Amino acid sequence: MLEVVKLSKSFDDLKVLDNISFKVTPGKTFALVGPNGAGKTTTMRLILKIIKPDSGEIIVNTIPRNKLSHEVFGYLPEERGLYQRARVLDLLIYFGLLNKLTRHRAEVEAIRYLDKFGMVDYTLRRISDLSKGMQQKIQFIAATLHNPEVMVFDEPLTGLDPINQIVLREMLDQYKSEGKIIILSTHQMSEVEALCDHICLINQGNIILDGQIGEIKKKFTENAYYIESDEDLSFLHDFKFLNVIEEQNNSCKFTISDKKVHNKFIQSLFEKINIRKFVHVEPSLHDIFIKLVQKD
Amino acid sequence: MLRNFKTIFYISRWEFTTRFRTKSFLFSTFILPLVFSILITLPVYFITYDEQVSTKLVGFINLSKTRVVDTLQRHLNQNYTLENGSPEYIVLPVSVENSPSYRTALNELMEVESRKDSITTEYNRIKNLRASYYNNRGLKNKEYLLKTTYDEMIATRELKDLVEIEYDNYRVHLDSVYNREARAAADSLLLKNVLNAYVVMRENVFENGYVEYHSLVAGNLLESERMQKIINEVIIRTRLKEAKIDATQIAGWLHPVAIKNYQLRSIGPTEWDFYFEFYGAVIGVVLLFMAIFTSGGFLFSSVLQEKTNRVIEMLLCYATSRQIMAGKIFGLGFLGLLQVLIWLCITAVFVFFNLFDIGQISYLNLENAFYFLHYFSLGYLLYAAIFVAIGAIFSSEQEAQQVNIILRTVAILPVLLVFLFLKQPNSEIITILTYIPLLTPYFMIMKISQIGIPLTSEIYFTSTLLFVSIIGMVFVAAKIFRMGILMYGKKFTVTEILHLLRSS
Repeated sequence: MLEVVKLSKSFDDLKVLDNISFKVTPGKTFALVGPNGAGKTTTMRLILKIIKPDSGEIIVNTIPRNKLSHEVFGYLPEERGLYQRARVLDLLIYFGLLNKLTRHRAEVEAIRYLDKFGMVDYTLRRISDLSKGMQQKIQFIAATLHNPEVMVFDEPLTGLDPINQIVLREMLDQYKSEGKIIILSTHQMSEVEALCDHICLINQGNIILDGQIGEIKKKFTENAYYIESDEDLSFLHDFKFLNVIEEQNNSCKFTISDKKVHNKFIQSLFEKINIRKFVHVEPSLHDIFIKLVQKD
Repeated sequence: MLRNFKTIFYISRWEFTTRFRTKSFLFSTFILPLVFSILITLPVYFITYDEQVSTKLVGFINLSKTRVVDTLQRHLNQNYTLENGSPEYIVLPVSVENSPSYRTALNELMEVESRKDSITTEYNRIKNLRASYYNNRGLKNKEYLLKTTYDEMIATRELKDLVEIEYDNYRVHLDSVYNREARAAADSLLLKNVLNAYVVMRENVFENGYVEYHSLVAGNLLESERMQKIINEVIIRTRLKEAKIDATQIAGWLHPVAIKNYQLRSIGPTEWDFYFEFYGAVIGVVLLFMAIFTSGGFLFSSVLQEKTNRVIEMLLCYATSRQIMAGKIFGLGFLGLLQVLIWLCITAVFVFFNLFDIGQISYLNLENAFYFLHYFSLGYLLYAAIFVAIGAIFSSEQEAQQVNIILRTVAILPVLLVFLFLKQPNSEIITILTYIPLLTPYFMIMKISQIGIPLTSEIYFTSTLLFVSIIGMVFVAAKIFRMGILMYGKKFTVTEILHLLRSS
């Protein structure tokens, strides 16, 4: 388990992280989300020991971060960049060597990964000859080649085509099954819903939401409904206990604030107009994210 | 500790191998020095190279009224001949015979001259007649005849004096017309490229030595120097002849002196040649500059690229900023050392096959090769630390290149000061410049190759100075690198950099 305990970091007068704490369980995908400038990258850099915290500590499987060597961690940064003139295999061996792999082991692992991503034919190609998506896969391999205990991925699916997204998801599933600690940062809430088990929402250096995705969704469930009809639905605005969230061409999404009239109103609605579609809407993480950040 | 060094070694090896294979390294190791050597030797080659396509005509306008043309031609023939043995210069007296104004002036002079001759004849006849009267003792009306012829003689003499004055005036006029017309004719021939140049010997050339040299090209130094040398010799010989000095004695006196230059070195007095000394200094400094800035440039772009393409984030995850910095500096430093060793090997091959006259280029020795490596290493480390810091501060290559250009300008200063250095290697200004750490390696390389006496104490002092500067700069660079490398898209001011240094 990775534990972040009361972590704080400031740059000059700007407090980027303010006493944040969270836990990442092995075998679960942990999503670190938040708007731009929330402190996600700083948190990841602190975990990776690229920068030092002002206070607080990071513990991995009961061992303080300072006592852990760097090969325990694997990092895929958000900005994709590689040595453009380098050859694929040379580059992967270089990162393998930096992470305590022997040259032979690094070479074997590199070819194994390249094979998994269908890129074994590109082993001796220069990075500059590869497409953006391929370069991203190489960067993913470079981050995980040494089979680290803790994997930190910043926007891992960005730029990948749907097929390679599936491959990457399979890889993440494999790491989960191997009990790896996986931290993932993204802006795509759909990605979080599809890939992650746990979410930690940071805003302005503070954690405003932390928990299992299922639990969070349950917590934020509200009486929201979506209806489609052949008739005009503008009359819905006349009801004071009804909040219209979205409205479009005889379709409407709304919540009912007064629980007392809830059942009665829905019953009357079916009697009054011809309804084509009626759905009880679950809150999406996207909605929860926007709601919480705006509220904060 | 071992792990620490292993990481530095891996980063060094990566930097070394990725750059070693580039065309840029091959270009700066083999092509650039070659191009540079050609570029600096070509101008001197062209200055000293004598085309010798065909014999050159040199016009000659003689206002001195002495016959020196043949002597001048003879001396030119003795000194300068073409490969086929024919004379390189032919002296052509400029003719004005066809000039109407000259012909008019000449006719007028001739007319006055004939009058002068006729009056002189008449005057002489009267004088002779009077003499016969005087000597004839039996002549009866002797007194009368002498008296009447006396008046006639006085009148004729007056006329003769007047005609002689007139003749002198016409003579001066003719000289003036000749001077003008000859110059006009010579200019015309010069413009038509018939003459290569023309020489005007003024009237009193043997007293004041004033000679004019006219050519179409102002900087025709080689030709004018040759002509000056020969005319000088001709005039001195003529003066000596006029002083009745024996011809063989003159030849002995005017035998040219050849000076051989010797420099006292640790190995004893050695002969030196200006061109070798000059090129030794320039080539040494430029090669050092190239070596430092090739590796330094690689280092600079490596840091900058890793920052702009964010590879540095991945690297920082697996290695500390100090390991990355050390790995880069050492890896690219070894690349620079390899480059210097390649140059030294090429020089050794040239010396081995006698393509260089080692006797003439005394500074080409093993000891100086060692000093070159020594000052390259120290110079590189100092500049490397600066490059690392600059690479980490800037976010775009364009901004960073501006500072790079300033650094290059400072570093090339010793090349521009080579003449000043050769003139006075121990002057105060050179001493001050030598103790500016950024310039120390360059000036020390020049001093070691040019000053013969051992510079042991100066080598110790400058090495210590550089060593201390390197430690200071590496300390500063490490701080800037650690903080600046992760700050993307930020433009640092000097105040912010100082703040960065204080806070980190």
